Amino acid sequence: MATSGNKNINAKLVLLGDVGAGKSSLVLRFVKDQFVEFQESTIGAAFFSQTLAVNDATVKFEIWDTAGQERYHSLAPMYYRGAAAAIIVFDITNQASFERAKKWVQELQAQGNPNMVMALAGNKADLLDARKVSAEEAETYAQENSLFFMETSAKTATNVKDIFYEIAKRLPRVQPTENPTGMVLPSGQAATAVNSSCCA
Amino acid sequence: MSMEASELQDLSDDADYAASQQQGSASMMRCDSEKRSSSSEHEGAELIYTKDNVAIHPTQFASERISGRLKLTKQDSVLFLSWIPYKGEIPNAKLSDKDRSLYTITAVPFTEVRSIKRHTPALGWQYIIVVLSSGLAFAPLYFYSGGVREFLAIVKQHVFLARSAEDTNVLLVNDFQSPLQRTLSSLELPSSLPVASGQSTYPSDGGGSSNDNRISILSQYGLRKQKSHDPTRDLSIHLLEKFSLVTKFARETTTQLFSENNGFGSIDKRRNNQPVHSYPEKLSNIAEEKHHESSHSYPETDRLDNEEISNDIDVPADPLEFNNLSLVWGKPRQSPMGREEFTAFLDSEGRVVDSKALRKRVFYGGIEHQLRTEVWPFLLGYHAYDSTYAEREYHRSVKKKEYEDLKLQWKSISAEQAKRFTKYRERKGLIDKDVVRTDRAFEYYEGDDNLNVNIMRDILLTYSFYNFDLGYCQGMSDYLSPIMFVMEDESESFWCFVALMERLGPNFNRDQNGMHTQLFALSKLVELLDTPLHNYFKQNDCLNYFFCFRWILIQFKREFEYEKTMLLWEVLWTHYLSEHFHLYVCVAILKRCRSKIMGDQMDFDTLLKFINELSGHIDLDSTVRDAEALCICAGENGAASIPPGTPPSLPLDDGILYPQDDDIL
Repeated sequence: MATSGNKNINAKLVLLGDVGAGKSSLVLRFVKDQFVEFQESTIGAAFFSQTLAVNDATVKFEIWDTAGQERYHSLAPMYYRGAAAAIIVFDITNQASFERAKKWVQELQAQGNPNMVMALAGNKADLLDARKVSAEEAETYAQENSLFFMETSAKTATNVKDIFYEIAKRLPRVQPTENPTGMVLPSGQAATAVNSSCCA
Repeated sequence: MSMEASELQDLSDDADYAASQQQGSASMMRCDSEKRSSSSEHEGAELIYTKDNVAIHPTQFASERISGRLKLTKQDSVLFLSWIPYKGEIPNAKLSDKDRSLYTITAVPFTEVRSIKRHTPALGWQYIIVVLSSGLAFAPLYFYSGGVREFLAIVKQHVFLARSAEDTNVLLVNDFQSPLQRTLSSLELPSSLPVASGQSTYPSDGGGSSNDNRISILSQYGLRKQKSHDPTRDLSIHLLEKFSLVTKFARETTTQLFSENNGFGSIDKRRNNQPVHSYPEKLSNIAEEKHHESSHSYPETDRLDNEEISNDIDVPADPLEFNNLSLVWGKPRQSPMGREEFTAFLDSEGRVVDSKALRKRVFYGGIEHQLRTEVWPFLLGYHAYDSTYAEREYHRSVKKKEYEDLKLQWKSISAEQAKRFTKYRERKGLIDKDVVRTDRAFEYYEGDDNLNVNIMRDILLTYSFYNFDLGYCQGMSDYLSPIMFVMEDESESFWCFVALMERLGPNFNRDQNGMHTQLFALSKLVELLDTPLHNYFKQNDCLNYFFCFRWILIQFKREFEYEKTMLLWEVLWTHYLSEHFHLYVCVAILKRCRSKIMGDQMDFDTLLKFINELSGHIDLDSTVRDAEALCICAGENGAASIPPGTPPSLPLDDGILYPQDDDIL
């Protein structure tokens, strides 16, 4: 699927997950390499971009960070529509946040882009003493649902860059022509390659 | 696409000349004996200058424009200015002789003129505004045939004109005092007027004498019929409206240009600080057409009805310039109201005698911090303005008891009960997560085991029982934080928060309806007040205005520093000019960024990022002033753009306040 011609890829990525799971903190760590102990809640949505170099290509992530509260759920499709990738975040110290993550996975499987690269992030991995969700449980769930799973810590920066890097690697290099609303948008001359090549 | 500047100037003149020929009038006449006979009112005066087709626009309707003749006469070495409407030339039944005479300017000596503001856009009609020493101003005089430059040149031969240091388009008359002034002759009026007018703008910040002048300017001739029930209007507002019309004309024109060219071809020019004048040919055609209309068509529209924006071309130019024109009219901000001043609003028993005056005062300057604890409860509606000291004291004690009872409802939930009470656990969990990250960098909430954080949690949890249907929603803690900081009392904070939520609760509705109505109203206001920007949003799929979601949801709490937020909130809560002043604040900020937004061709994502990153970079005072001017400019059109019941209006009384969906959290 990947073609060597595509050097620059723009990929829309959305972060979903329960309130206080650490979505904004993950983004902040990834984009600005910062961590704030009491990161304020996200109102509406926030948008960031960050570029990663992966093997043969440069991936520019356009990241949507969303509000976690169920009440703002109705806004979520606006943000995950057209996303090439999603990170579903839960808090390993909070079982309910894991349950909520599963609901997000279901919703994306039902409503989202079928080619979406989905990652499950068990955040706050530094709080081992307070762990409520075992890595095995999350890993099993991820495998059953074709996601990849990583435990992350925005606080210590553990696995933060890695999870984005892993997503970047998994992004299809060529956008299937059947899907013109397209999630991965090769930029520049690469667009020509998109039209001429076809793969499902 | 791009044109040489010199070419453009010439074309702009052409537009004027075309218009003048349309009217079949000579552009300038001097010492015409025939004309002199008509100036019977001024015996023995020497006629220095006359100019035909100089008009006043009392309303936005072309049919109601009054054309007339402008004259300069001299008697005993004093120069006089007159403007006499033509008699019987305007076949307009709606325009009474009374109206006509109302606007007549009879021989005003230049000794009484303080300044002349000229406006000479690249395209469209030039006008001047004559401001008297008394601070009064005449309605703008439109030179349909051009010639403002010549007019000023002739004035200059007889009186001392000096360019204002603050605004090169303001010419001070007989002002020998200002050390900053530069004489007109030393500068000469630039031959490239379009560029000059495009670059000169009002200072947008406060201070400066000409600024003060602008505020005090009243139009004694601005007595057009007005819906008098609107209490916010006064004479100065009438003048503002006149200016707003100018800007509306300009916007309409710009829109027309933009839409006809299917995009924003002129943006590049604007980035180079050039006025928009890319399509002069087109425009002069329009101008001619409209000119026809202005003399031959008589719209049926009720003149009282201010709803319609005329399509007529008037002063089309760089919309940026018009922003500046329309945006400098808000009053300079006052210093916050202090205790002494507040006490003067109270009678001996503590009633606020004139609540409107109090709200006005707060609107224009805010409140000293120590006083907020007394005034906020009024603004929020927790205390009635006509309550006495004693009544308020009693009210407080009753409410305190009531609060304690409400609090006890969740305090008494045992661990065993909580296990079986998912909704409670979920709400508590949500609140717990949010209070520890609300304004923790702010002194009042910082540090481990901060008591105020606990109080915040208690209040929010109590509120979620008081208003179980609405519950807790993210953003509420943002509202509560400053209220607690101001009230410094748990029960009082709670009840002030309750009062605020009576109006803003719909922001947090599950169906997002309160937010949608406000975003919709905002889109209507931008359409009204900045059509090109509206069209830009439309073309770029940004019409849902979700990029303003945070602004509206928590009334700019995340956009300003703490102290500024409190100031803005008390201004908003006065509901002085409008219950929906916050929407005008949105428009004001968007307008300030319009060239950036459109120039950078921002799409929705970029726009959202841009708007979020404005946080901490918005100047509050000038924004509020802009919003004030916009609110006044929009007038009833603005109010009509906002659907009834739009928060923070009190909800229409139709039963269920907070419609429930399946999932209550």
